[in-house]
Amino acid sequence: MTFLLLTQILAACAALFCIALFTVRLRTFVRLALPVDRSLLKGNPNSGVAYALSAGMLPWAKESTRRHALAYLRGVGFHLTVFLVLALFVFSPWLGLVPPSIRLVLALICALGSLMALLGFIARFIEKSLKALSTPDDYFAVLLVSLFLGCAAAMLLNPAILPPFYLTSALLFVYMPLGKIRHCIYFVFSRLFFGRFFGRRAVLPHSQQGKVAA
Amino acid sequence: MSTKVETALEVLQKQLNQPLVAALEVCARCGICTEACHYYQAEPVEAHMPSMRAEQLRQVYRSKHDWLGRLFPAWTDARPLTEEKLTALAEMAFTRCSLCARCTVNCPMGVDTPLMMSAVRAMATATGNAPEVLEMLADAAIEKGRDPSLYLDFYLESIQELEKELQQLTGDPQARIPVQKKGARKLYVALAGAHTILPAAAIFAAAKEDWTLSIFEAANYGVFLNDASRAKAICKRIVDEANALGVEEIIISECGHAYYAMRWVAPNWFGEDFRFRVTSIVEVIADYMQRGLLKLDPTANPEPITYHDSCNLGRKGGVLEEPRRVMQAVSTNFIEMTPNREEAYCCGGGSGLVANPDVFDLRMLAGKPKLEQVQRTGATIVAAACENCRLQLGELSSHYGAGFGVTAIADLVVKAMRLPGAHQTVEARMTSISESEPAEK
Repeated sequence: MTFLLLTQILAACAALFCIALFTVRLRTFVRLALPVDRSLLKGNPNSGVAYALSAGMLPWAKESTRRHALAYLRGVGFHLTVFLVLALFVFSPWLGLVPPSIRLVLALICALGSLMALLGFIARFIEKSLKALSTPDDYFAVLLVSLFLGCAAAMLLNPAILPPFYLTSALLFVYMPLGKIRHCIYFVFSRLFFGRFFGRRAVLPHSQQGKVAA
Repeated sequence: MSTKVETALEVLQKQLNQPLVAALEVCARCGICTEACHYYQAEPVEAHMPSMRAEQLRQVYRSKHDWLGRLFPAWTDARPLTEEKLTALAEMAFTRCSLCARCTVNCPMGVDTPLMMSAVRAMATATGNAPEVLEMLADAAIEKGRDPSLYLDFYLESIQELEKELQQLTGDPQARIPVQKKGARKLYVALAGAHTILPAAAIFAAAKEDWTLSIFEAANYGVFLNDASRAKAICKRIVDEANALGVEEIIISECGHAYYAMRWVAPNWFGEDFRFRVTSIVEVIADYMQRGLLKLDPTANPEPITYHDSCNLGRKGGVLEEPRRVMQAVSTNFIEMTPNREEAYCCGGGSGLVANPDVFDLRMLAGKPKLEQVQRTGATIVAAACENCRLQLGELSSHYGAGFGVTAIADLVVKAMRLPGAHQTVEARMTSISESEPAEK
């Protein structure tokens, strides 16, 4: 058994562990009570949900992201890169089939994502309010993700880096459902509740404002 | 573990439903919500960061419900609940958050911080850590509802006196303030004090509305305590009255939390669909205007006027455009504040803060962003469709010597109706709340 295969198996096992734990978390979550809202609709909750998961995420949609546009875009960029690298992880055994030019572009994206994560890590140290808010879990999570994205960039340029990429992936997969990164599975729910709340009241999207209750 | 702590944890456990757990779990501690909070705007310290407030509860949650938090508490900053922590949590939730939801609107994740602060309020109320004044006001309302016969005669006498004022105001000797009229279409629920009854009665008279006045007041202090049993008991008086009279609609006076509670939350407390609609008087006025039932002269209000969005009515209640349509129709010089609507700043008086004399200084501090917003418009009058907001705005104006007056929307409407007796009656009652003694809050 080669070292590469060993790390691949390790990463695959960690991925399964991650999926299993997330499944447990999700099952526990969906078993919790979901309050029924009996109030008479003014707006459309579905429009609110659609907004919350689309236009409501645009940088100009809210005051805070207009004010912190760069920080927000950095965050969005690094999160999108994580999803890209998760997809690359799945297809990593066949990356050799991808033309070098495309691999180079992907590597640049991953490197940029890694840099953005690293900047997030530095921001937690430098900005007083963020530092006050941060726990060791926050620092570790963002460093781990930065490493994960960095290794992805490296392995795209040099396949010899694949074993460290798999090892980092394994560590990330084990940590994901346990630490702060698990917020990813609650994101959709949180935006869903947000959209429903403001949608049924005809507050968001803005096009609903002024609607009269049926 | 003390009994208090055990009780608080039980209350938290009972509240852990999907929205609350999502709010507790989803925060990435990015801090983007920070400046959204009017407390932080007024005083940029860590304690005023919405995410930091929520963290205080999350620490407790993690110590009970997070695998890593239980094994390595320092790693996730998980902290068990102690009596000291419970007292600090209660103080924070009742004084350093007005549940305005501005942070929620501004959070990339949509974290519902008011939901978490409400959970803390419930924990505090269950363990005797809530502000006494709120408990007292809630209990007084419940007690009053138990036996209305104790004050009904006095109340009816007062209304008869008010009816004379209404007749003088409208110039119509037939104008009436019907109380508990069976079969009326609409039940109007006012606040304590004639100032929320007379202007509404004049508007109903002009629109020839088939209405009746509730014998109860709209305010609901159980909501501020997040004590569902008290809040429901207070609402129940009105719900029972509406059902007994067979009305089609309950109209809530210009009161943010009363509207929010009855319109958006009460149906869930009762677990049934109401047989009536719930509206705000502002929505009703806008509807009358649209149907051409009110003749309004905007030159009656020539002063520069701005409108303050009450959080409960606007961002959390969806009444955003109706007041603006009314303001445009009753004033020649309406100026919008920036930001407004769902991005409007809280005045700092909501969620029971205005009723708590112990937090006056903090309230004045938290209201500064709103004060500055008003001042930037150059308006001399601020209209607000919420009694607590009006009280807070009036106090802000006096405290900082800003010199603007505060008024209800219905008062502006009555002025614009150019009623024959307006200058002798309603105008004398309304003017600026900041200059008059507030009625019971």
